[in-house]
Amino acid sequence: MSLSYRIAYVFLRNLYSYKRFIVPTFLVSLVEPLFYLVTFGIGMGAYMGAFGGQPYLHFLVPGVLATAAMMSSSFECLYGTYIKIVHEKVYDSLIATPVSADEAVAGDIAWASFRGLVSGSLMMGVALVMGVAPASLWRAALLIVFLVFIGVLFGSLAMIVTSVAPSFDFFSYYTELVVTPMFFFSGVFFPLENFPGWMKTLAEFLPLTHAVRISRAVFTGQPAPGLGWSLAGLAALAAVVFTVSIRMMRKRLIK
Amino acid sequence: MGILVKASGLTKKYGDLVAVAGIDFEIREGECFGFLGPNGAGKTTTVRMIHCVSPVTSGILTVGGMPSGINNRGLKMITGVIPQEINLDNDLTVQENLIIFARFFDIGRREAKARIAELLRFVELEAKAGSKISDLSTGMKRRLLIARALINRPRLIVADEPTTGLDPQARHLIWQRLRQLKTQGTTLVLTTQYMEEAQQLCDRIVVMYQGRILKEGTPASLVEGEIGREVVEVRVPPEDDAKILGHLAGYDFAHERVGDTLYFYCREGHGLMKKLLELDLPNTLNRPATLEDVFLKLTGRSLHE
Repeated sequence: MSLSYRIAYVFLRNLYSYKRFIVPTFLVSLVEPLFYLVTFGIGMGAYMGAFGGQPYLHFLVPGVLATAAMMSSSFECLYGTYIKIVHEKVYDSLIATPVSADEAVAGDIAWASFRGLVSGSLMMGVALVMGVAPASLWRAALLIVFLVFIGVLFGSLAMIVTSVAPSFDFFSYYTELVVTPMFFFSGVFFPLENFPGWMKTLAEFLPLTHAVRISRAVFTGQPAPGLGWSLAGLAALAAVVFTVSIRMMRKRLIK
Repeated sequence: MGILVKASGLTKKYGDLVAVAGIDFEIREGECFGFLGPNGAGKTTTVRMIHCVSPVTSGILTVGGMPSGINNRGLKMITGVIPQEINLDNDLTVQENLIIFARFFDIGRREAKARIAELLRFVELEAKAGSKISDLSTGMKRRLLIARALINRPRLIVADEPTTGLDPQARHLIWQRLRQLKTQGTTLVLTTQYMEEAQQLCDRIVVMYQGRILKEGTPASLVEGEIGREVVEVRVPPEDDAKILGHLAGYDFAHERVGDTLYFYCREGHGLMKKLLELDLPNTLNRPATLEDVFLKLTGRSLHE
């Protein structure tokens, strides 16, 4: 792979382009978590009473943080990158400069990760206002780092999909068949213990399950079984997915 | 003058499709070298290999003595690209487009600012520095592409059909600027379908067709060698050909029948014209031979798509 500090230039280019949309995207990033937390946390939560010894909202927040980071980074590397390749031709102009195709892709993944971080952090801010805070300040800091990691993982995964996407419509397969199931079956809204055995096993194959587990453990300070495995598995997966995404995008970009 | 770009047996294949079929050429330092050819001739593919965004399938291609390759940052540092498609960053202003591009070449902010001011003057866009790209006309966008290609003070500029879709004023301004660059010592590689553009800008050209180079030379020598000096066009039905050719016996010319027109290629059209007028033919025209005649003769007059 041909990667260097030039990744930062690609990130900078995205930041310049983002400036104009900063207010609308922040608003969207704020409104969405509010809806989640109000609907599920306060609305439904009121019927649930204590949930594993804590209000439901406290259970919900760490999972929603991870989901927000996943969603933002995924969409950035699906639609955002596709537009830059096909419609805006940003990649064409990039690879004619000393910036390599690999750096252009890595820069976009870094950017997607940043977008994930922004969404997750805003969500954390909203939760804070609603009285749900991480167990300590350094845990909050650790969560921030983890949000960046989630962004790289799911951004790279989405990048693989984009590398073979013939059109926009193609993305619905990925969002409907991969992202949405993860959203519902990764333990964001309820503990996986209630699933029958085979579904529990299946859920262990969803990366978001592990992301949510880690996020919840860091947020609440309560250790979960298999946490080390979750972290190691996700780190290994991120390394593989990142490498594969760059190779596959290279194939799409260099002809 | 030294050789800047050298290709031998240069080949590019996409699967089974041969886009460039083993061509040889040399581009000298400081000249303007043109690739001419109809759509699909392999011009763009060739120049994309020269500026290191498309890998060479086989053969040798060197720029400044270095082998061209997609990871050759050294070459990309000294090359400026004016692309066929307008790929400016629409979310950014004119100034921001150039600032970001300067970063890609490791040019610092302060140096970039000074350079950008100079470049915007050069392409007459200084009043548009803060404008959004969508507010620019096509001609302005094309001029901005030139400014962008110059940000790194390139030794080699690759211009892929740089005046497509422009009105004559905008086109002439771009020609002026490209010629100005050449007088400053920059080497220019141009692809074009406009014969006038090639005649205006190029020191030497190659005519490409189906991935091969058919002819090479200066525009004037190609016109002289392939066509002659002048062309006489007579628009008459094919039945009259025998009668006309008989009438012109003894004159030195080559002729060609294409559709509704009979073409005569010769050194001097005046005598021929006088003789033709004796036949009292309508729609007869005597004009200097151009590169377009060469192009059509070499690549055929039928459509290529």
